[in-house]
Amino acid sequence: MKELSLHILDIVQNSVKAGASEIEIDINEDILKNLLEIDITDNGCGMSEEFLKTVKDPFSTTRTTRKVGMGISLFEAAAVQCGGYLEIESEQGNGTSLKVFFEYDNIDRAPLGNMAETMITVIMGAPDINYVYKHRKAGKEFVFVADDIKNALGGVPIDSPEILNWVKEYISEGLENAGINM
Amino acid sequence: MKVSELAAALDLKYVSGAQAQDREISGCYIGDLLSWVMGRALGGNVWITIMSNINIVAVASLTEAACVLLAENVVPDENVIKKAEMQDVIILSSGKTAYELAVKLYDITK
Repeated sequence: MKELSLHILDIVQNSVKAGASEIEIDINEDILKNLLEIDITDNGCGMSEEFLKTVKDPFSTTRTTRKVGMGISLFEAAAVQCGGYLEIESEQGNGTSLKVFFEYDNIDRAPLGNMAETMITVIMGAPDINYVYKHRKAGKEFVFVADDIKNALGGVPIDSPEILNWVKEYISEGLENAGINM
Repeated sequence: MKVSELAAALDLKYVSGAQAQDREISGCYIGDLLSWVMGRALGGNVWITIMSNINIVAVASLTEAACVLLAENVVPDENVIKKAEMQDVIILSSGKTAYELAVKLYDITK
């Protein structure tokens, strides 16, 4: 995929399908260690040990409509292609945690992409979920918690167009202020 | 052959670097894995790819490819175009596949 944010989108959709009520996306740009780490953690239904063993296999999927669900395999390929790797932990009933590591300055590492757009897209897809998005770079941090916004909105739906627009601006500005350029 | 002649013959659009269209071309390289292209594309090559992230500008610049030719209507982001203009990298675009472009290029340069 062109940008890593598209992989994030794909994985978050898995978490939504797994019935998660909270999904955390944690991005760490550690330039000193030449490392980009993307963690996605959910409290969904998790996976059985058996399924976990086959999940990186491009021919495995929970979907019955299509034989090949490739989300995790493609994300792993994107990491391996630039000297990185993917780790996955999951327990049935206790959610799933995915950690993906990339060599930061590797020429084959796709750019992260637009995270503000990505967050809007996931909120639109499943607005009831509490999304927590943390992004760190060079000692600075930006944190977005969807439930904080919902509480402040006092009943106005977070997925109404004006609010989504505001959220997008809020994230873009927050990242910029933390010195994280998209 | 010059980039301008190539662009006219294959009906290519300039995405960046139109001011450098007098550049001479020699040969062609096709590839999408940037590290692979890095070690194989030669100076003066027309580099045909579907990759469009910012790193293509670096690869084109370091290999001294004559131009990047984006196949299948791939459109790079605005920041890629800006960077390409800054680095004097010519990016061209076409709706044709890499295969179709290569065949046509072969025809006009043989």
